[in-house]
Amino acid sequence: MKREIRALFKNVLIEEKGKKITITAKKEQTLELLRFLKNKGYNYLVLISAVDWIKEKEFELIYVLSSYVRKEKLHVILKTRIPRENPRFKTVIPIFENAEPYEREIHELFGIKFEGHPRLTPLLLERDYRIPPFRKDFDTRKYVKKFFEEIPSIEP
Amino acid sequence: MRELELFFGPQHMGMVGNFSITLKVEGDQILEAYANPGWLHRGFEKLMEYRTWIQNFPMVCRINVVEPDHMEMVYAMAVEELAKIEVPERARYIRTIVLELARLSSHLFGCWAYANMLGFDTVAQWAMYHRDLILDLFEELTGGRVYHIYIWPGGVRRDFPKGFKDKIINTLHAIGSCIPDYDSTFFNNPLFYARARGIGKINQEEAKKLGATGPVIRATGLKFDIRKIEPYAVYDEVDFDIPTREEGDAYSRVWVIRDEMIQSVGIIMQCLEKMPPGEVYNRVPNPFKWKIPKGETYVRVESSRGELGIYLVSNGEDRPYRVHFRTPSYPHGLIILERVLKKANIADVGNIMISLYVVAPEIDR
Repeated sequence: MKREIRALFKNVLIEEKGKKITITAKKEQTLELLRFLKNKGYNYLVLISAVDWIKEKEFELIYVLSSYVRKEKLHVILKTRIPRENPRFKTVIPIFENAEPYEREIHELFGIKFEGHPRLTPLLLERDYRIPPFRKDFDTRKYVKKFFEEIPSIEP
Repeated sequence: MRELELFFGPQHMGMVGNFSITLKVEGDQILEAYANPGWLHRGFEKLMEYRTWIQNFPMVCRINVVEPDHMEMVYAMAVEELAKIEVPERARYIRTIVLELARLSSHLFGCWAYANMLGFDTVAQWAMYHRDLILDLFEELTGGRVYHIYIWPGGVRRDFPKGFKDKIINTLHAIGSCIPDYDSTFFNNPLFYARARGIGKINQEEAKKLGATGPVIRATGLKFDIRKIEPYAVYDEVDFDIPTREEGDAYSRVWVIRDEMIQSVGIIMQCLEKMPPGEVYNRVPNPFKWKIPKGETYVRVESSRGELGIYLVSNGEDRPYRVHFRTPSYPHGLIILERVLKKANIADVGNIMISLYVVAPEIDR
């Protein structure tokens, strides 16, 4: 599989570690790669996650794929980076149906817009935050202090 | 008939746990369902970025209230993999025993919830009582009844106390001797059959497409268990079976859970027999100065609800850079529940939700 990926996709970084294989790809290649891996039998999308690399000014999107049958490599972790400024990415719902809640969550917590997602409504949070709360520049402690000290105490 | 919008939960008699569903109904038939989580969102993943590796342990176990041990295990495994720590043989056996006891207590809790919701109050009381016996074991072993904070990177916190082995065996006998009672009052009860048969049906193809794991996918006939596919602790050294059913409805899911409990007892007995003497803990560096090398990993275990995973990123500092839990209830409670509820009756909402084994705090984190 490694050779096939190298032949089909240029400039892809592949790392093998035990039963895991990590692929770092450019954002233009990601959807094609996901489709390719799905056809190779990795048809179970385990998780979509995002990491805020604030120093590099980039967001990293992580797709963890696995399979319902035992395979030589149990996990494929596909990583791609998108710029932090006005972050957008294409939705993967046409490939993996169960991506819907994961993308909704990332949209809410990191502010990454997924183009073509039918339902980017709030999922977990109660109120609007100026900065999406899971970004590294959102300081939870400062926010809690400010927010809860504004509430007047009951005693006069 | 007129179409209505119905807000089901979080405060509703038919709803279990802090979860809410917005239903579009016509008469008593559901046309559309929209899951609405977030009532228990505590932002644990963000809070963990502020605390050191060891300080996070009291937090991870609170993500899932019903089975905290699997949460500790998956976090400890991820830390061990990043920091390259070995676990002693005896500790791996103790971990397996603790995890299986946790699975038993969680399944009994599930039986309590299901029986209670259907009105089988006697069975519910039994299940709660038997779960309490297991919590007593945990109290003696770890000092805590619900949250144990027992599994650490490098092993477990302390060895079994004196005579603990016999206590486990006695408790398991006490629970096991009631299986015929459970069967005749609950699992083989015609009333239960009538209420659960054909409810919340999902076929294997769709379950695979939507990322189902655990009892939900095993009830559709697929032998998928991470304990077999990617063994951790000592699951490759013990002999056990993966119970499956073919129908994929609520009835078969509950039966999978029942059969799994019996398998768990078998695993615990085998571990108790094979357990070697020795150390239970490999020392880790001073936790306040402990820095873990750069890297990221995805680790998973089979919790009682399905695949429980963690994506952990270390930046080479004394605290995690990013933590993301992949909890089994997440696909079950959000996307599968919405699909399965279509065309169901309002009276079956709680029934379907509990049979999918959804725990709200796991979704919200």
